Amino acid sequence: MNKILKIENLTKNFGSISAVSNVNLEVEEGTIHSVIGPNGAGKSTFFNMISGVIPPSNGSVHYKDKDITGFESYKLPHMGIAKCFQITNVFPKLTVRENVWASIFSCSHKSKIDLFKSMNDFKTIDKDTENIISDVGLSHKIDDKAEELSHGQQRMLEMAITLGAKPDLLLLDEPTQGLAPEATVEMTELIRKLSKNYTILLIEHKMHIVMEISKIITVLNFGEKIEEGTPKQIKNSKKVQDAYLGRK
Amino acid sequence: MMKNKYSFIALIIFLFVGPFLFPNATIAEMLIFGIVAISTNIMLGYTGMLSFGQALFFGTSAYISGLMLLGGFPLFLAIPVATFGSFIISLFIGYFCVKREGLYFICLTFAFNQMFYFIAYVWHDVTGGEDGLVGVERPAYIDTQLTFYIFTAIMFLFAVIALYKIVTSPLGLIFKLIRENASRAEAIGYNVRFYKLISFSIASTFTGLAGSLYVLIHSMVPIDQIHWLKSGDIIFMTLFGGVGSFLGPLIGVVGYIWLSDTFSIIWARWPLIMGVIFAIVVLYFRGGVSELLENLFKKYKSISKKTEHEQNIKNRKLN
Repeated sequence: MNKILKIENLTKNFGSISAVSNVNLEVEEGTIHSVIGPNGAGKSTFFNMISGVIPPSNGSVHYKDKDITGFESYKLPHMGIAKCFQITNVFPKLTVRENVWASIFSCSHKSKIDLFKSMNDFKTIDKDTENIISDVGLSHKIDDKAEELSHGQQRMLEMAITLGAKPDLLLLDEPTQGLAPEATVEMTELIRKLSKNYTILLIEHKMHIVMEISKIITVLNFGEKIEEGTPKQIKNSKKVQDAYLGRK
Repeated sequence: MMKNKYSFIALIIFLFVGPFLFPNATIAEMLIFGIVAISTNIMLGYTGMLSFGQALFFGTSAYISGLMLLGGFPLFLAIPVATFGSFIISLFIGYFCVKREGLYFICLTFAFNQMFYFIAYVWHDVTGGEDGLVGVERPAYIDTQLTFYIFTAIMFLFAVIALYKIVTSPLGLIFKLIRENASRAEAIGYNVRFYKLISFSIASTFTGLAGSLYVLIHSMVPIDQIHWLKSGDIIFMTLFGGVGSFLGPLIGVVGYIWLSDTFSIIWARWPLIMGVIFAIVVLYFRGGVSELLENLFKKYKSISKKTEHEQNIKNRKLN
């Protein structure tokens, strides 16, 4: 199997505190690779370094053998990497259609001249927008403003915006955060469905979801990688149990 | 879409009726500042960037246009050169300003504005300093009040159509994405700083176009046209009209110029009244006059619908 993402010795120091320290990780193409860890393990910092939000202090990130370490985040969707945020992050005053349309347009427009054309000139984008919105089950809300949606629907919209970039690699940062149990089940199903077409790097703290859908799990604690393996191996790992129970 | 259609019909009516309602110089000034306010709204209302430096582009362009006309160049060369000059300056200044957000962005635009003001102030030989640039004459073909108004109205329509094309294009949508959630816009692949610069440049270039026309109204460029207080007036007019709609700022311009002309005759301390009006608008009508009118229209429509419905029920009962 191809390794789509290779992370070597990734480190982030904030002054004298090391939030992430020498983490190595490889993501196989076409799999769901999860990163878990107790609160404060450094998962979000790790995610933000991969997605270009913060530059690492040391180490490298290679995507499809290209060094993308410290790339500005706006460049990543054009290379095939899209991310879904931990906190609902949509465009509230715009309609569901505009939210997704803009995401598709970002990666599909060919020249700067397209920026000045009429929005009615992009029939393919219109069609793709409707298809993606239908995939996440929001067709009936397509012309509603994002701010009028429920929290669960906004999370689905967030996912639709992410898919609009037509990525090869999806970076999902706690996509089930704050969702009701039924919506969590829906989101889990959606991620499972998406794994057929995309490689997914999932940051998640809900253990049952991670155990259910991941192929490989990496466990972080205090910024360091303490374990990596299949869900079964992780379940039986004493190191992981100690980390979650706070045992030294 | 319907709302825009009605707005454009109202605009065309205004262009025909305006010269009968206001003195010629006033209506021409309204159209020129209309270009300024509508283009400033691209940056303020659509992209969410508040600049206190738009007088820089307005004044500089007015000086360039005025100096070219004084130098014997034709108007049809002076206007594009002055507008292009604003575009180049906006790229240079915007490059530094968009590196910062919020208060720091405002401060930078303000600082550049005052820098240009003091250059104009001390460079007396070229700009006329405190006295302003005087003696600029209109070309013969727009020498009468009517031909000058027609010329201004054509330039205004050209600017409005071009700006409308921009806000209804994907670029307009990108501006709105930045206003709504800049970090998310970045995450889906838009270089936010680049698009902020584009927005800044569009607003400043059209403001420059307006400046190049302004010199023709009174055949001079007073130095206060490049002062930061003029930038404040531009913000006032835009907010007063309403940043929520494309043509809303024009209502602000018409209201502001009419009110200031009226009050300045009655009372020397008229800016005090404008201050009170501004405070009321900001406190109670955040969407400006355009939103207030829109809400009144909606209310009227719902009341007339209700009355019609009640009348129908009454008729049915009588039958």
